[in-house]
Amino acid sequence: MGKKKDKLSKPPKAEKGKFPKPLLRVLEEAGLATENLIYCCTGDMDNDACYCSAWLSFDDKGFYIALGDEEIVKTKRKSGKRIPEPKYTVSEIQSIPMEDIDSLEAERYVSTGRLILKKDGEQISLVRFSIGKIAQIENLIRAFNSYKNTGEAEIPASAEPEEKKCKKCGKPCPQGKDFCPKCNKKSSTAIRLFKFFGGYIPQIVAIIAIMLLGSAVTVFIPQISTRALFDDVLANPDGLAVAELIKALGVLVLSIFGIRFLNTILTVTQQYITGGIMPDVIYDIKVKIFNAMQRLSVNFYSSKQTGSLMERVIRDANNIYWFFVDGLPALVIDIATVIGVVVIMFVMSWKLSLITLAAMPILIVFLVLGDKLFRSLHHRAWLYNAKVSAMVSDNINGQRVIKAFSKENDEYDRFEKLSGEHMKAELKLSLTEATLFPILEIFVLGLSTVVLGAGGVMVAKGELSTGTLLSYIVYLEMLRGPFDFLSWVSNWWARCADSAQRVFEVCDAQPDITEKENAVSFDDLKGDIEINELEFEYEPARPVIKKLSLNVKAGDMLGIVGKTGAGKTTIANLIARLYDAKEGCVKIDGIDVRDLKLAELRRNIGLVSQDIYLFIGSIADNIRYAKPDATMDEVIAAAKAASAHDFIMKLPDAYETRVGAGGQKLSGGERQRISIARTIIQNPKILILDEATAAMDTETERNIQYSLTQLKEGRTTIAIAHRLSTLRDADYLAVIDDGKIIEYGTFSDLIKQKGEFYKQYKIQSEALKTIGIGVGIGGEMPEEDEHEHK
Amino acid sequence: MNINNANTISPETLRTEYVSPENCVFSKNENGFLAAEIKGKEYKRVILTRSLPLNFPSDYICISDIEKNELGIVEHMADFPSEQQALMNEELDQRYYCPVITKIEGIKEKMGHFYFDVMIGDFKKSFAVRDISKSIRQHGKAIDLIDIDGNRFRILDFEAIPSKSRRKLEPYLY
Repeated sequence: MGKKKDKLSKPPKAEKGKFPKPLLRVLEEAGLATENLIYCCTGDMDNDACYCSAWLSFDDKGFYIALGDEEIVKTKRKSGKRIPEPKYTVSEIQSIPMEDIDSLEAERYVSTGRLILKKDGEQISLVRFSIGKIAQIENLIRAFNSYKNTGEAEIPASAEPEEKKCKKCGKPCPQGKDFCPKCNKKSSTAIRLFKFFGGYIPQIVAIIAIMLLGSAVTVFIPQISTRALFDDVLANPDGLAVAELIKALGVLVLSIFGIRFLNTILTVTQQYITGGIMPDVIYDIKVKIFNAMQRLSVNFYSSKQTGSLMERVIRDANNIYWFFVDGLPALVIDIATVIGVVVIMFVMSWKLSLITLAAMPILIVFLVLGDKLFRSLHHRAWLYNAKVSAMVSDNINGQRVIKAFSKENDEYDRFEKLSGEHMKAELKLSLTEATLFPILEIFVLGLSTVVLGAGGVMVAKGELSTGTLLSYIVYLEMLRGPFDFLSWVSNWWARCADSAQRVFEVCDAQPDITEKENAVSFDDLKGDIEINELEFEYEPARPVIKKLSLNVKAGDMLGIVGKTGAGKTTIANLIARLYDAKEGCVKIDGIDVRDLKLAELRRNIGLVSQDIYLFIGSIADNIRYAKPDATMDEVIAAAKAASAHDFIMKLPDAYETRVGAGGQKLSGGERQRISIARTIIQNPKILILDEATAAMDTETERNIQYSLTQLKEGRTTIAIAHRLSTLRDADYLAVIDDGKIIEYGTFSDLIKQKGEFYKQYKIQSEALKTIGIGVGIGGEMPEEDEHEHK
Repeated sequence: MNINNANTISPETLRTEYVSPENCVFSKNENGFLAAEIKGKEYKRVILTRSLPLNFPSDYICISDIEKNELGIVEHMADFPSEQQALMNEELDQRYYCPVITKIEGIKEKMGHFYFDVMIGDFKKSFAVRDISKSIRQHGKAIDLIDIDGNRFRILDFEAIPSKSRRKLEPYLY
C-alpha cells in the first residue's frame, strides 16, 4: 500500500522543455509570469562562471534568466519513506524584451560555455554554463531562434524534459543516463548476475549443500585428529594394553584418513559441478555482450567510453567467471567454517573463547586497514604496469618512426625512467607486505601463546583436557585463513561487480539507430535521393552539417568535393543511416530513411569507404561478404571489375589467400580494390564511393574508374573525392565547405563560375603538370570554353 | 583539398605573424568582450587561444577574429604593458576557466565509477568519473579531472592541497 501511495504522490512528468511545477510556483512567487513560457532549460552558473542554479526560459514577450539555488531535501511521506525533493530559492530575475534580441548562440570553451545574445551585430554575454550542459542550452537556442524567426518554437526531438534526477539521492543523473550510478545498488547487479544461473538451480543447490557439508567435515577434523587422539587414545584414560591402544590408534588414523578422503571427494564433486555450469554461464554472458554490441550504432563504437570493448567481452567475463568459480565457493565455505569453528570453540571452552574474542576487534581493524593500504599500493603498481605496457606497445608500433628519427636512445631513456617508477611502486608494495605480514604473524602468535598459557593453567587445574586445549589451538589457527580471505574478498567482489556493471552497460545500451515498428520496404527502388535541410553534429554545439539540401535523380552521379573536415563523409554516413540527422532528413524515393527497414536500406546502398576493413578469412570470403552464396564466377567477375583479379592471381594462394589480422600483407590500393569488389558483388541501387581510389596509383585508379563507370550504369552514384580526376563523369558536382554547399552545378557550370571548384581544378592540373603526370585532368588545361560537360 | 591548400600557401602565410605592443593594442568593447587594434585595423571582438595551455599559458597566444581567422600571435604576454596583460588574462581566464578544486573530501569507487566530493572554494561539488586513469591528466604540478559529462576540474598545485586530499587522490595518479 505504501508503495502505491508513493507512486500516486509522484509529481506529474514534466513536458519537454518545461520546468517542473514546484519550480514554476517559486518563479511565479518571485515575480516571473510563467503561464505562457514556451521553452525552459536549467543552467548551473551565473555570468561570472560561479556555480548556482540558473533557470532560462522565454515566452512571446521576452527571454528570462532566473538565478538562485536548488537544494535537495528529504521529505517524509505518509508511508514513512523519505523522498528527496528539490527546494528552490530565487535570488535574481533578469528579463530581456523580445525586441532586444536578434538571436541567441552558444560559445564553447574548455570546460564551460557561454550563452550569447546577438543584436544588430553586437554580442552580449548572458550566462555561463558547465560544458556538460551544452546540449540542453543548444536546444533552448534552437527553440528560441526558430520562434523568433517563424513564430513557432522548434522543440528539438533530442530535448529532454527537466534534467533527470536520481530518485534516491536527488542528484542530477549523468547525461544520457536514466539512473544515478552512485545509487545503482550493487545488489541489483548481483541479482542480475545470479539470473544467469537461473537454469542451474538443482546444481546450485547441490553445490551449496556440498560446500556446507565440506565445511562441517573440516570443522569436525580437529575433534578426531587432535582432541580424540590425545584425550581418548594417547592419554589412555581407560588404561588399555599396548595392543589395544595400537588398535584404537589404527581406528583413529583410519577415521582421520576417511574424513579427509570424504572432504576431498566433496571438494572434487563441488568443483566438478561448478566447472560444468560455469563455462555455460560465461558463454551466455559473452554471447549476450557480443549480440548487444552488434545491435549498437556506429556512434557507440566511436565514443570515448568504448575503447575497451574487447576487454568487456573477454576480461570482464573472465573476472566474473573467476569470482564465481573460486571466490564465491571459498566465501561460502569460509563463512560456514568461521561460524562452525566459533561455535565449537565456545562449546569447548567459553573462557578461552572470550579471550580470543577480545583480540578479534584488533585483528579486524588491522586487516581492514591493511586491506585499504594494500588496495592503494596494488592500484598504484597496476597503474604503472599499465603505463609500461602502453609504452612498450607504443614503441613497437612506432618502430619505423623511431628508427627514421634515430631516437632509440631517447626511447630507452623514457622507458628506463618509467620502468624505474614501476619498480619503486612494486618495491613499496613488497616491502609493505614484508613488514605488515610478520606483524600480523606475531600478533596471531601472541594470541595463540596467551590462549596456550591460559589453557595450560586450565589444564593444570583440571578444567580442560590436553586434547581439548590442543584442538582449541588448531581451531584458532583455522580461523586465520578465512579471516584473511574475508578481509579481501570484498575487493574481489568489487572487481567482479565492476566488470558485471560494464557488461550490463553494454547489454542495456540503446542503439541510436533503431528501426521503426511500422518501417516500410521499397516496392521497386529507383534511387532518387533527396536531402532536406540536413543538420548534424557529433558533439553538441559543434555542427558538422548545416541546413544542407541536395537532390540526386535516380541513375545520376553526384560528385562531392570539399576540404578535409568539410562534412563529405558525414553526408555519406547519413544517407546510409549510420547516423541519424539532428534536424532535416534524407529521403530515398521520397521515403525518409528513418521510416525504412534498416536491412533493406543497407542492402540497397553500397558504401566503399576510405576506411578499408578486411575481415579475417580468404580474399574470396571477403569479396562475397555481402552475398555469401555468390558463385566463384561472380567473385572473379567482381574482382575483375575492381581491377583486383590480376594482383590476386599473383599471390601464392590466389583467392584463398588469407587476409585480415595475421594474414597476407596487402597494400592500401590492393585492399581497397578488394573492398570495391565486395561492393560490386552486392549490386546496390545506390553506390557511395567515399575516396574510393585515394590510395591508388594513377594507372590503377584509371582502371578502377573504368570499372566504376561500368558499375554506375543504372544506379545512383555519390562519389566523394579529393582528386577531381575521379569526378570527371559526374552529372552534378557539389562543393562543400564547413557543412554547407557553396557551389553546385555541372562540371562546366562550376568551371564557368570561376569559384572554389575552378580554383581547385586549376591547382590540381598545375600540380600534375609540374610533376609530369599528364597535362591537366582529362589531358588538357582547363579553359572554360573548352569544358562543356560530357 | 590538400593541393588546393597549397595554392593559398605562400611565404606570407607560412610566416608566423607575431604582434608586439607597438602594433597590437587590446581594449574592451561596450559589451565587455575583448577588442583589438592590430596593425592599424580595428577588430570589434577578438578571441585569444593558448598554443600551450598547460605548460606555457602566457606564451604563444593566438589572436583570431570571430570567424576564427588568425590575426597574429603574442609570443610572450610579459612583453605587453601590465594593463594589456590584464585584459588578455581576463579573456583567457574566461575561455580556459576550470573550477579549481581546493580540497578533496572523498573519493568512492562504486561499480566502476569514482565519486568525487570536492570543495571548489566554499562550494561543495560532487561529480562522477569513469575510467579514472584516462580521466586524470597530470601536467607539471597541476591535475585535471574530467567527469562523466565532460566537465573539467583542476587542482592548480597538487602539493599545495591538504595532505589528506593528496593521499586520497595519490593512488590514481601516475
